Order: sequence, then C-alpha cells, then structure tokens
Amino acid sequence: MSASPTPTGAYDLAFARWVYANVDGGDRMALCMQCGTCSGSCPIGAQMDHGPRKLFMMIRAGLKDQVLASDTIWNCVSCYNCVVRCPRKVPVTYILHDLATVALREGNAAAKASDNARFGSAFWWSAAKYGRTDERLVTAKYYWSFGLGGFIKRGMANQKIAMGMVKTKRMHIGMPHKVKGTGELAKILAKAAEIEARNHG
Amino acid sequence: MTERKTGVYLCSGCGIGASVDMSKLETIAKTEFKLEPKSHACLCNDDGVGLIKGDIDGGVNQVVVAACSSRVMVDRFAFEPVMTLRADLREKTTWSHPAGDEDTQMLAEDYLRMALASAPKVKAPEPWVDGDYSQRIMVLGGGVTGLTAAAQAAALGHEVLLVERSDRLGGRALEASKRLPHTPPYAQPQDNDIESLLAAVKASPHVSVKMNAVVTRTAGMPGKFAVTFADESIEHVGAIIIATGWRPYDATKLGHLGYGASPKVVTNVQMEGMLKTGSVSAKAVAFIQCAGSRDPDHLPYCSSVCCATSLKQALELIEKDPGTSCYVIYEEMRTPGVAEELYRTAQKAGVIFIKGKVKGVGADLTVTVADELVGQEVPLKGLDLVVLATGMVPNSTNPDAEASDKGPEQLIGDVDPEAPIKVAGYAGEAPADYTKRAQCTPEGGPLLNLQYRQGPHLPVLHDGFADSHYICFPYETRRTGIYTAGPVRRPMDWSEAAEDAQGAVLKAVQAVRSASAGAALHPRVGDLGYPKINLNQCTKCRRCTVECPFGAIDEDEKEYPQVNPTRCRRCGTCMGACPVRTISFDNYSVEFLTSQIKTVKIPDEFSGKPRLLLIACENDAIPALDQAAIKRHTWSAHVRVLPVRCLGSVSLLCISDALSVGYDGVMLMGCKPGDDYQCHFVKGSAMAAERLSKVGETLKSMMLEPERVVQVEASIADSDRLPTVIDDFVAQITKIGFNPFKGF
Amino acid sequence: MTNPSGSRTIMVVGGGISGITAAVEAAEAGFDVVLIEKTPTLGGRVAQMNRYFPKLCHPTCGLEINYQRIKKSKRISVYTMSTVAKVAGKTGGYTVTVKTKPRHVKPNCTACGDCAKVAETEVANPFNYGMNTVKAAYLPHGMAFPMRYVVDPSVAGTPEGEAIKAACTVGAVDLDQTEDSFDLQVGAIVWATGWRPYPAANLTAYRWSDLPNVVTNVEMERLASVDGPTKGKIVRPSDGAAPKTVALIQCAGSRDLNHLGYCSRICCLASMKHAAYVREQYADAQVDVYYIDLRAHDKLESFVQRLKRDPQVAFIKSKPSRIEAGENGNPVVCGENTLTREIYAKPYDLVVLATGMQPSVAEGEMPDLGGVDEYGFIFAEGEDISAGVAAGPLDVSMSVQSATAAACKAIRAVTTAH
Repeated sequence: MSASPTPTGAYDLAFARWVYANVDGGDRMALCMQCGTCSGSCPIGAQMDHGPRKLFMMIRAGLKDQVLASDTIWNCVSCYNCVVRCPRKVPVTYILHDLATVALREGNAAAKASDNARFGSAFWWSAAKYGRTDERLVTAKYYWSFGLGGFIKRGMANQKIAMGMVKTKRMHIGMPHKVKGTGELAKILAKAAEIEARNHG
Repeated sequence: MTERKTGVYLCSGCGIGASVDMSKLETIAKTEFKLEPKSHACLCNDDGVGLIKGDIDGGVNQVVVAACSSRVMVDRFAFEPVMTLRADLREKTTWSHPAGDEDTQMLAEDYLRMALASAPKVKAPEPWVDGDYSQRIMVLGGGVTGLTAAAQAAALGHEVLLVERSDRLGGRALEASKRLPHTPPYAQPQDNDIESLLAAVKASPHVSVKMNAVVTRTAGMPGKFAVTFADESIEHVGAIIIATGWRPYDATKLGHLGYGASPKVVTNVQMEGMLKTGSVSAKAVAFIQCAGSRDPDHLPYCSSVCCATSLKQALELIEKDPGTSCYVIYEEMRTPGVAEELYRTAQKAGVIFIKGKVKGVGADLTVTVADELVGQEVPLKGLDLVVLATGMVPNSTNPDAEASDKGPEQLIGDVDPEAPIKVAGYAGEAPADYTKRAQCTPEGGPLLNLQYRQGPHLPVLHDGFADSHYICFPYETRRTGIYTAGPVRRPMDWSEAAEDAQGAVLKAVQAVRSASAGAALHPRVGDLGYPKINLNQCTKCRRCTVECPFGAIDEDEKEYPQVNPTRCRRCGTCMGACPVRTISFDNYSVEFLTSQIKTVKIPDEFSGKPRLLLIACENDAIPALDQAAIKRHTWSAHVRVLPVRCLGSVSLLCISDALSVGYDGVMLMGCKPGDDYQCHFVKGSAMAAERLSKVGETLKSMMLEPERVVQVEASIADSDRLPTVIDDFVAQITKIGFNPFKGF
Repeated sequence: MTNPSGSRTIMVVGGGISGITAAVEAAEAGFDVVLIEKTPTLGGRVAQMNRYFPKLCHPTCGLEINYQRIKKSKRISVYTMSTVAKVAGKTGGYTVTVKTKPRHVKPNCTACGDCAKVAETEVANPFNYGMNTVKAAYLPHGMAFPMRYVVDPSVAGTPEGEAIKAACTVGAVDLDQTEDSFDLQVGAIVWATGWRPYPAANLTAYRWSDLPNVVTNVEMERLASVDGPTKGKIVRPSDGAAPKTVALIQCAGSRDLNHLGYCSRICCLASMKHAAYVREQYADAQVDVYYIDLRAHDKLESFVQRLKRDPQVAFIKSKPSRIEAGENGNPVVCGENTLTREIYAKPYDLVVLATGMQPSVAEGEMPDLGGVDEYGFIFAEGEDISAGVAAGPLDVSMSVQSATAAACKAIRAVTTAH
C-alpha cells in the first residue's frame, strides 16, 4: 500500500481523498455532515482530544499530522453507539480503527507512543502466539514497551492489583494457557494478512 | 321591485325552548314588527326546512331564522336568491346564559328584534354587471413562470397575452446550465428543458406574444383592464399574472468578497453561463454562500435556491473533471425537503463543506475562512475560481421603467417581520427592537403603472417581494385580479415557479369569471353586493378612497369617489370610513347596523340593568364566542353582540347612535392589527383603531367618559378568554355608572 | 377542449388544508367537487396546530374562512370518515370506490350536545394525540366541520349506547351503522392525503416512549393550544409543573438515513414557534435549540432572527446523541457542541422533539398510485395529481400554493380528457 500523501496547505484534499479511497469505510466518511452525534454518543467522547466528528473535518482540512497523532483513533472502545446512530450511516468505528493502523504503519511517532498502540500490540502478540490473551504476559509485554525503567515503575505501581488478581484467580502464574492447534491459528492469521494486503495493496 | 314579504321562523330546539319563553318571542314579532312568526321544534330538519321552502313557494321573499348561530346550518337555511337573516338564540343566548332567566329572555328578545329590525334595510343584492368583460389573461414576463402560466391558462380555454420586456422568450432559463433535481430520485442535476416549454407556448393558438414590450399604464379593474404599452397600443384583459421573476443581487456591492478585484471572482449567475457554454476550466473552486443574502447590510432574507444551486454547479464541474476540488463555504446548508438528496450526492462526489464566515478574498483568490468546525482560521489557497452565491432580488419593480414620484415605500412597512416576540413578564422591554431593518424595495419604476388612487405600484412585503401577507391565502394580493407567481413572489426555483404559475392561473381564471358575474372574490366569495355611493351627500373627504385596503375606489375628475366594483372585496371599510353614511351595499349598510343597535330595548337606569354593545368581527371574534358557547362558558346577559363583516366597516355613527340611545358602553372586538396583522381585509381593525383614537374627545364633549368605548383584540382561539374580557368590561362600565343619555 | 363523455367532477382525497384549498379553488372556478376525508372533521393536521409561523396566528382563522366558502358553495360534497378503497379507469372517467366508517350519528345532528351529557365511557382523544380523553359521544373540537357529533363504536350494543341514543331528541344517533362502501364517478382525482408525524417511538435514543417530559412537536402544539389537554398552558406532562428550561431538538428523524432521508422543511420554523410559545408564557424560561442547520427559507429567515435576539433563547449546533433519565423527571440531553467541542449532558424540565413529516402513503393505506417516490411522496410532476405534503414536505403556505396548482391541473384534466 502506498503511504498517504501529505497536504501542502489547508484543505489540500490529497490526504482526504486518500482516506476516502483507502481507509475502511472512508468512502462513506465523505457523507459526514458534522452533526456531532458520534462524538456525543461516545462513552469516552469527553476524553478524546478531537472526537470522530472533528477528526473527520480535520481530514478534509488536510491536517494529516494532527489526525494521525490524535488519541481519538486509539480511544475508540468499539461500542458502536455512533455507528448505530449516525444519520448518514458512516461506519465511524471502522474508520477510526483503520486510521490507527495507518498511523502505525506510517510510523507516526505519537501513534507509536500511544498507550493503546502499545497495549494493542502486546495484546496481539499474545493472541497471535497463544490463541488467547494471558493477562500476565500481555501486561508484561505492554510494560516492557516503555523500556526497563518503565517496566519496573509500572510493575511496582500495579503490584497490589496483580496480587489481588492472582488471589481471585483472575490471573494465573505458571505456563501460559494455549489453544489447541496454534499451527492452524498461524495459518489462519497468515491468510488474513494476505487478504488484507490484497485489499489494501 | 316586488313587495317585501318576510317570513319569520323560530326554532325551539337545542335547548332554546327550555331556556326562553318562545311565546313572548312570537308576540314581539307580531306586535312590534307586524309579522306572523312560525315556531318549530327543530327548524333545521327536513320538516322545518320544508316549512320555509313552502312559504317561499307561497311568496315569502325574505327569511328570518331565529335559531342557531349564523355560522352553522348555512346550507340548510340557504334559499337563494331569497335572502336569509339569522338571529342567534342558541350559541349567544341559550348556550352561554342561564336558562329561564329574565335577562336571558331579554337577550333573546333583543336578538330577534335586531334581526327583524334590520330585515327591511337589506335586500338580495343585484350584481354590478356592465357590458363587456374580457376573459383574456395577461401574463407579464416570459420566463419559466410566465411561459407555464401562459400554457396553462390557454389550456383552460382562455386567450392569453404574453408580454415580454426583452426580445426573446425564456428568461433566465436560457442562460442556465442544468436544472435542480425535480423528479425522483432527486439526486442529480437534470437537463434544462426550456426548449420544450417554449415549443408548447409557441404551438398554442390561444397565446399571443408581445415582445420588447413595456407597460406604460394600466387602468380599469378585473374583467376590464386596459393596458397601454410604450408603442401606444392598448390591450384589454380581464386579469393579470405578474411573472416578472428576479434579478441577481448587484455583485458590485460585494467588494468585501473580492468581486470586481479579479475576473476569477464570479457570481453564480455568471457561473451558470460558463457551465452552459462549457467555458469554465478550474481545478479548485470555492463557492461562497449567502453572498449578500441573510446579511442586514444587503438582503435580510434567505434567497432559498443558492445552496442547491452551488451544489448543482459543483456537481457539474466534478462531472466534467472528477479531479476538481470544490469547496462550499456556508453558514447553514439549506437543502430543504428532498433537496437533501442533492446535498448527499455532492458530499459523495467529494465536495467539501466548510462552515464559517469568509473574512476576505485576496487578490490571488486566497479565501480566508473562520472555520468553525475545526476551530481555526484557514487560508484557502490555490483556488482558480471563486463563485459568489448571490441572492435573488424580486422584479417587483421594472428596472427599465422610470421611478415614480409615488415611491413603492407607500406600500411596504405595514408588517414588521422582526418585531419582538411578545414575552411574558416584560413584553415591550426585551428583547430589544431590531434597529437595522433593511428596506429592500428594488430599484425601478412600477411594473404596471396602475392608474389607482393608491398609487402605481403592486404592494410588496418588507423584503420587496410581491407576496401575500397571509399564510393560508398565498395568492391574496391587495390588488384584486392581479396575481403574482414565481420568484417575484418568493425566492423559488424553476419547478416551484412552474407550480406557482399554475396556482396563479386558477386565481386569474376565477377573477375573470367572477368579474363578469359581478361576484366577489375571496374571502366573501360570490357576494353580489358592491358599494353604492350617494354622491349627493358626499363631502369629497376622500376617506373611502384612502382607506380601501384594496385600492378599489378612485377619484373622478371632480374629486368624487368612483367605485371600481370588480376590484372590491366587500369588507365595507369604505362604509365605515364615510362620515356621512353615503356608502352602502344592498346587503350591508350603516342603516342595517344602526337599525339593530336602536331596536334593542334599553332598560332605564332604575332597573339596574346596563346595556352594552359588542361589535364583533364575524371572522374571528364571532367564531371565538361561538366556541365559548359550545363549551358552555357564560358571559354577561347585558351585552348585545352585533356581528360585522370587519371592524373596518364600523362607522363612528354606529357608536354615537349607540351612546345616544342609551347604551352604557361599546366594545369593538376584532383581529390583531399592526405587525403580523391578522385582519383578512388587511387593515380593517387598524382603521377601526385609528377612528376610535379620535372618539375620546367627542365623548368628552358629550360629557361621556372615554372609557365607555373600547376596542379589544381577539383571535379565533380566544374562546376561554373572551367571556372574562366581556364581563370585565361590564364591571368597568357598571363602576363608571349609567349613561346619562339613557331615555333622553 | 371538451370532455363530452367523461365526468367533470373532481375528487379531492384528504380534507386538510391542502384538500380544502384544492376543493374550494376548483369549486369557485365552476367545477363540482367531492371531498373525501378519513376523520370525522375537516382541517387535518393544521386544525391541531396552535399557531402558524411566522405570524403566530391561529390556523382556525383561515379554516373558518375556508369552511364558510364550503358552506356557501353549492358545488362541494363532503364525505367524512371516508377513504378511497379502489380506483379504476383513467382521467376523465374514474370509478372510485369509497369506504365509509360508521360515525353512528346521522347528518341531522344539530350538535346540541345532549348525547355527551349521558355518555360515561372515556375514550382517547385523537384530536389531542391521545394526551387526554373524551366522552364516547363527542364533538371532535369546537371548530369541527361538519359540526356534528361522533359516537365511539365501543358503546354500540351497550346500555350506555342505548342511553346516548335515547338522549338525542332529533333521532340522529344510529348505533346500527356499519362500514359502507359506494362508487363515485369522477373525472380527476387530487391526492391531498397529507402526512403523519414520524413515530417518535422509533427514535429509541430520545426516549419519547418512556420519559414523560419528552414530547414531540405536534404534542407541543396541543399543549400550547387552548383546546388542548392543558387548556393552552405549557406544562411538564409528568407533574404539571411550569418548565423553566426547555430543549428543542431538531431533525428528530429527519435528515437521518435510519429514519427519514429527507429534510421535513417545517420543523426548524415550528421550533421557533415553540420557543416563542414558551417565552410568551414564562418570563424566566430558558430555551435551547439544538440543530444541525437552521433552515429558514426566504422571509422566514426573519422569524429566526426574531428569536435570536431573545437573550433567553440559545442555539446550539449539535444533533443530540441521546436523552437520559435524570432527577425529578428531568430528561438529560447529551451530545457534542460542534462549535465548542464541549461534551454536554444538560438536564431540562421539558424536551420537545422536532419530529418530521412522513407522507400518508408510507402508512400503506392508499391504493397503488403512479408517480410515487421512494419516500411515498406523490411528486408534483408525476402521473397523479397531488397537493400539499402528499407531494413533498411543504409548509402551509407552500401547501396551499401546491393545492391551488393541483386544482388547476385537475380542471385541465377534466376539461381536456377524451
């Protein structure tokens, strides 16, 4: 897939058009009429820097860097309230998730540094490797993304929670649980990657 | 004329008989009026109606029905050409006053007297019919509206004179590219099909066309208009449809949006031409909406079609070159109704919508916008065309004609559309008045140069459009027989204008057909009476010619009033204006009203029973009282209700007569005057208020308290309020004391 | 130009403002008209409005004039409680099957009201959208035309029904009336079938169904109307309290691909009216208008400007995402202010949903027609003649204009058909 173009000024549509053509659901994003239903529906809309509504306008305005650096694309919890309510049937959730992928793929620094990107990557690592998520390993992997200092600091800070989880059997100690047939899983994932590459190639 | 033979019919149904003594009513008819009444238990049933019909066959030529309100059972008691008068013993008597009560009985007796006393004063009207009437319809303006009107009027069998100011038919549609969507799925610009409309008109044998034509004067009245043209030819027509369309707002006034500084800043009208000729080549185009519209410095109104037009133009550009970047800079996107489809199509096609105010357009076409949705001021660079979505100015004047010394200002200003909303608690103080009220009457001379006493112009509203002030009656102009259609009436697009033209055609058809029958048009449809003026008594005071809401009365060379009957709408404002009762209708007159006022029995001051006269407008106040009665609300039985066509028809003579025969107070009850007036005769209630404002001094000179005569505003929805209003007035008058002229 | 064989009678289906207008305009041009109305009275939706924008005048005022025109015309036959079941034939020669529901009151009713005095059963009052009840023998409202009572079918065959029948001194009550159908020959048909308010229950996020203080714009009209359930006093349905804060939510269903894809045109201005109603009644009330785009065409713009100058009317560019239940029965309006990016959750005493207009065709009660678009509008340039909101989302003035044009088309059809 080609990298997204960088606009030269306000409302240079190069990036917007690339999003329409390449981002999952991007073609319907053109229909957004800026009513605000999505941002208002979002359970964590107040915590997002821009919210989907404004983010879509920023895409049109050519603010690519701010868009890809936005925490909005990482904070979506996939509740689909916005998708259900959007009067223009814009698949907001898909667009946000795919924009997150774009941000990572294009090496956006803020995106890579975002908490959710780190956690997502740790989560995926566990899911792909074991076919399920292991709280202990996902957490460890996530903490490790902050480097050794970050790992220790976060580990110490959350020690009490971890102990509580172990006690209530919400987290186990020992070998990671695995699904049967991880080989099959690897094949499925490889196929999925192939399809994605074909769709976005 | 044959001898008057009045049949009197008393109904005791619906509780009337149980409430009042019918035999006493019969006695009144016999002894006071020498008439033989017939009573019936349910006069509106077949038997009752048959009774009346039988008498009519036997020679009765006037019918008085004392039963329910004159608003109900109208069809049952219609015996045309025999005239029916009604006395309301039900709604305004039995249903609103206690049964078996002495005062209720007196009320019923007075209502019967009022009907019987007025009966000799009226007759079934003889229509004004005068020689030849033209059934021909003139259509002024040969654009989409005018062409459609001409084709439709011809299809209904009328000869049509189509008048066009320029040297070709087709109007602005000739320079337009595509049309706004008008058939499903409403999603794409549609073809300009003006040629087929032109062909239809050209093919019609009933349409004659006059090109390069300027009207220099229009005299006459519906059915008898004589229209003179600059070439001195005269055409006779029965009705006129004004379809003069619109002109674009003068873009040279839009320098702040870059117009004039660069040839690359064009209006939407210029853009249409460029799209039509295919002469536009641009990769990045900004459309600036509301260029002049919704702007108190320019046009205060919304021109309605500019949003959709910009979308259409953007789509045409994108269709030609999908790589074109189109930006629409807007405050509010206005694509009402199914036009929302076009908005979505434009979005899908990649048109970008920026909500915000344009701060300026630079010499290099950089448009600076305060982008409200992103929250920053952005320069829009790299544009190679800027389109100003300029608004519509109505051709309610002729830009080619010389301005008249009687300016159109005389016809606007009766409505302040931005008057503050009445607010509870602090009405009148806040919100503040709108100080910057634009006067939008377009430049130019009168379209028709009407030879009317009230001036040459067609009345326009505050925004300059020649529209009706009524929501329910959008074709009711203040110049009978002259109808406006299309964008001269309201900003509208092609399809709406074509629809509007057809509505105007129907009104014009009604006008010519009614005129030749001598019958009134809306709202007193079919009324054959018309004002007759006894010139022997006329003092040439000109009040009737000035006050007529429809400009129906001119002045002749000797300055006497001259009625143009087919312009008349039968409100009676002239009759109310006349200080010496010289104006009357066959079926309505000052005498008709005063005979009712004077026949009421006025008890002496020792009885403790005051008498008050309530003169009420029959369109709103009377229905409101009827509704109050249906709800069985009650009000003082000391009040006598006198329905009138309009408060405008109330002469001060009615009031002075009432006071001199001993009424203790007079209340006029009518529609809202002034801003947002609701009077269906435009200014009847306003004229009544004006006349009444001068009555105080007269009362003082008669040693009477000015508070004895009041005017109250009533709406048709006031059924719960009016009984209290009436009772409060009775209490107030009781406090003042009895009229000293009683029994004088 | 002639139509020697066919009928010159024009049928108008629907007795609201558009149908009434089409009927009187055609009759006053000299044509016979049959006016078919589904409910017991004419007036349709406008009769249920408190006032019109922008003049804030009462719809019954214009209706009164129109009713007088009908009463005085010898050319108009009105059939109430009637619908069109079937249409056969073509322009110039239609046979229309009309179905009539029983009113249980005959035309000789004098509207004296004796029947209502003995009626005891209360039935939902359709005139007030069921917000209150009426006796089973009732006059639909004070301005009802025809001015005749209706007896609810529920009392037929009961002792109460017999009492109602006995109370009528003119013998107008007929409890044995049944559904009837008959054929009429007409030359042209004008469809003036109007609209219904888009069902607010479909807007689940706005909680109209379970929060009493969330009402629709048509309910607001009844609340503000002197003949409404509160005699014109705008109060909270839950406790009858005077609202101090009122939210008006635009595009409740309109401009929404999940509901109505089009803009209903009238709702913005109707909400301006509602802001005016509230402000006229309560000096201390605050009104917030939530909107996407304020759509006030032509001179109606000045009506918006009137409201904008009221310091206690605020405009918030936002389509609220949802309404939640708050304390004291207060609905809480939630969403994003798109100009400030503020995420708000604001409690109100009363919330009014500006629900849109849906053409009656969408209800599926009409015969198959040509020229109907995907929304159910019988569009103006289609094969069938339509008037008013049957043709598209129009305001009253535009509807009357459309109806006058429809009368013109119908006359043309009956005079030129072969």
